[in-house]
Amino acid sequence: MKILKCEGVKKVYGSGSNQVTALDGIDLSVDKGEFVAILGASGSGKSTLLHILGSVDKPTDGRVIIDGTALSTLNQTQAAIFRRRKVGLVYQFYNLIPTLTARKNIVMPLALDQKKPNQAYFDQIADVLGIADKLDALPHQLSGGEQQRVAIARSLIYRPALLLADEPTGNLDQKNAKVVVDMLKLSNRNLEQTILLITHDEKVAMEAERVITLEDGHIVSDERRR
Amino acid sequence: MIAAFISALLLSLLCGLMYNAWKYEVERIEAEEGGWHSRIPGTFSAEDRETIESFANVDKVVIHKQGDRGTEEAADIYFRSKKAVFSDTPHIAGQLGIPQERIVYNYELLAMYLIRDSGDTAPRLVLPLFVLITLAASFSLIIIIHNAFAVSMNAKIRQLGILSSIGAAPRQIRTCLLQEAAALCTLPVLAGNMLGIAGCAGLMRLTNVWLGSVVSGRHKTTFGYHPLVLMLTILATVITIGISAWLPARRLSRITPLEAIRGTGEWQLVRRRKPGMLSRLFGIEGELAGNALKAQKKALRTASLSFLFSFLAFALMQCFVCLSQISTRETYFERYQNVWDIMTTVKDTDADRFAETAAVRELDGVESAIVYQKAFAKRLLREEELSEEMQSFGGLAGAPADYVVQTDGGWLVNAPIVIMDDQSFLAYCEQIGIAPRLDGAVLFNQIRDVTNPDFRHPVFMPYLKGRTADERGDTAGESLADSGEDAVSVLQKSAGEETAYARIGVEIPVLAYTREVPALREEYATIDYYELVHFMPISLWKKIKGQIGGTEEDSYLCVRAKDGVTQEKLNAVQEEIARLLEKNYVIEQENRIRKYETNNRQIQGMTALFSGFCILLAIIGIGNVFSNTLGFVRQRQREFARYMSIGMTPRELRKMFRIEAMVLACRPVLLSLPVVAAAVGLMLRASYMEAGVFLAEAPFVPVSLFVLAILASVAAAYGLAWRKIRRIELAVVLKRIV
Repeated sequence: MKILKCEGVKKVYGSGSNQVTALDGIDLSVDKGEFVAILGASGSGKSTLLHILGSVDKPTDGRVIIDGTALSTLNQTQAAIFRRRKVGLVYQFYNLIPTLTARKNIVMPLALDQKKPNQAYFDQIADVLGIADKLDALPHQLSGGEQQRVAIARSLIYRPALLLADEPTGNLDQKNAKVVVDMLKLSNRNLEQTILLITHDEKVAMEAERVITLEDGHIVSDERRR
Repeated sequence: MIAAFISALLLSLLCGLMYNAWKYEVERIEAEEGGWHSRIPGTFSAEDRETIESFANVDKVVIHKQGDRGTEEAADIYFRSKKAVFSDTPHIAGQLGIPQERIVYNYELLAMYLIRDSGDTAPRLVLPLFVLITLAASFSLIIIIHNAFAVSMNAKIRQLGILSSIGAAPRQIRTCLLQEAAALCTLPVLAGNMLGIAGCAGLMRLTNVWLGSVVSGRHKTTFGYHPLVLMLTILATVITIGISAWLPARRLSRITPLEAIRGTGEWQLVRRRKPGMLSRLFGIEGELAGNALKAQKKALRTASLSFLFSFLAFALMQCFVCLSQISTRETYFERYQNVWDIMTTVKDTDADRFAETAAVRELDGVESAIVYQKAFAKRLLREEELSEEMQSFGGLAGAPADYVVQTDGGWLVNAPIVIMDDQSFLAYCEQIGIAPRLDGAVLFNQIRDVTNPDFRHPVFMPYLKGRTADERGDTAGESLADSGEDAVSVLQKSAGEETAYARIGVEIPVLAYTREVPALREEYATIDYYELVHFMPISLWKKIKGQIGGTEEDSYLCVRAKDGVTQEKLNAVQEEIARLLEKNYVIEQENRIRKYETNNRQIQGMTALFSGFCILLAIIGIGNVFSNTLGFVRQRQREFARYMSIGMTPRELRKMFRIEAMVLACRPVLLSLPVVAAAVGLMLRASYMEAGVFLAEAPFVPVSLFVLAILASVAAAYGLAWRKIRRIELAVVLKRIV
């Protein structure tokens, strides 16, 4: 079952002589439960692609369909609700809300819908990610690895169709980077979570079952490893 | 710089106005009452003068004639240290052999130096309240300077990090920041102070122009600025700026270069916040708004404090003015509404020499005119003369020695005499139901229950055993003298150098005991509850005045105009009376309607002045909110981008923003309300006013308008900020988040 489908996605910034093409006709599809890594150097367009997939940005041209929703048809409010319910975003710099505890950060997408989390599922995520004893801490009281695990937990709490991770290990040391990648793999395996991971680190990319390489806004390779 | 300038200007203006208001009051009292601190009536020799002058705290003594055509002397004493007035004057009187109860203090003047005595029962709350409001406003201004510096120093944090990374020592950074503060603030502080002084002088001139035309005989304001006030203002500003610059400079000089360079200005909470009321009321948006406010606590401190202080000062001032207006109206204007319309004080004239009463009565528009003069005597009361009610309260044993002196023969009490023109006295006799006669006095047979301190609803009881005509069941209108009851009052001289009171006084026939007073604008037994007031006709006074004396220097003409009189008509009557009397007398006049309007206008003026300060304070807060909301656009965009990236909709963001604005504006009001309620409660208690009476006229409208104005201003500030923030380009902002 296709959970993500991109057709001829193009993104152009600026105009005239300052025009920069970040993505140039990306065609891509991802099946439910896949763990995909998008590998690329700085400026290859991988972050732009992630923002478009996360409905943070809109393509200049082309179509993106996630879990049956065409993103180009969404207005600002619908896009926000889509992000809240259908995709989980994990950033390099965690993007946690500094004034909320880890617990509140995790349940925030549900709280916006005035929903309470399923306690068993919440506990399962916290246990799997190893942050059960850190839930009452504020983000600045946590290490980088812990903050990233909280960010992953937040992205999983709504059981999204797709988890998008943008350089999730980019700000971490090797040990913590491994832990975070393991957590992503674990959630992919145990929770059947579809994951699209963006990285410039080949070693991290090799942990995924499928590696797509991006160069200058084009997909140059799409390799299934397992 | 702007904050230093505005704060120095307001501080200087505030202190200047405060000083000038105080100076004006002192000058007015000195012009009307004299600048003496205590006065001892008596007869003084050169040795007596030396005795007084030998007291270390005495600055000078002025001995002058007073009383009936200057037959008696009084020593006006001026003290170097005013605090010694109440301790030294009784000693001086003691050394001169003059009873302490004869000492007169210039309470009004002394109160202007915040020197009070238990003998002065008047509230005199205006000055302490003014000082309190000024201190609160000054404190608020000082906090504003402090915060302005903290904010501007924090803005330089990255620059300081760079300085530190290239080798600047913490001490050099501190010095640099302090030098910058000094260089930036010297001119604004001086200019602000000078402009504040100029503004104060301008306001003084305006006051003269505005009030001079409506308040006749008003003492003119003269602008003054004591060097000490200037020095204090500059010193307060400089010290505040010094401390305000030093504290953040010290903090900034201690952080590492890396921290300084990386410092993103991200709002953080030091400690975890428990979900509060906002979270319960508004959900996650409420919690985020609460957290954002908590994180911005320092940046918004100026606004919070200025809203708090301005609302508190405004609400307290409005309540105080409302309460005092109700009180003045009830205890003065309404109480005496049917008693007087025009009061004329005839200077240095005895009532028996005043010959124009009949002519005044014949003036068009005059309903009645009473000429009267007041005199002071003593009366010896025997225990058995006291009413049963008085005796059940323990008689005069508990009376303060200042007013009641125990002697072998009984209790010596003050006996004020109201000497009325004969025709008015005869009318008074008819009013109280006795046959009109001119050969005796009517005694005001009423004393307040001193155990009940409620002056607004006093409980009275008969003072002496003598019964009123009603109590005697007298329908024939007989006086006591007619009915053959023992009715004599023995009055003794009050003034003079006597120390033994047990001397023979003047026997005066008592025509009646009554609990009804003549229609005069007078209050009886308000300070000395134990005084026994005598009303007597001038013809009787003429016979005994040689033995008693003790009259006040001035006489009074109390005129009632015909019913339904207008302001214009009353003014015309007043002018007629003045034309009639000014040929032969020096007079001062008061007009009830004009006085009421002047009183209202003065209150309005005072309210406008205080309101102006409160509004200024609020404006400072509003300015802080605007500078904060417009200054944090970039920072808020980052914050909002975070929220949006995890699915917060623009509507939810706006809701959060609105909650934040509402809390910022309403919290100071909600915090102030209990304080205002408690203060009003205390004021009501002190003035024995029912809450219902106050609530019926409570200043809900101006206070609500003030709150609404703050709310609207904060809403406008947040509205403007929202217009900028909502144009967020999520992808761009998210890329900037590191």
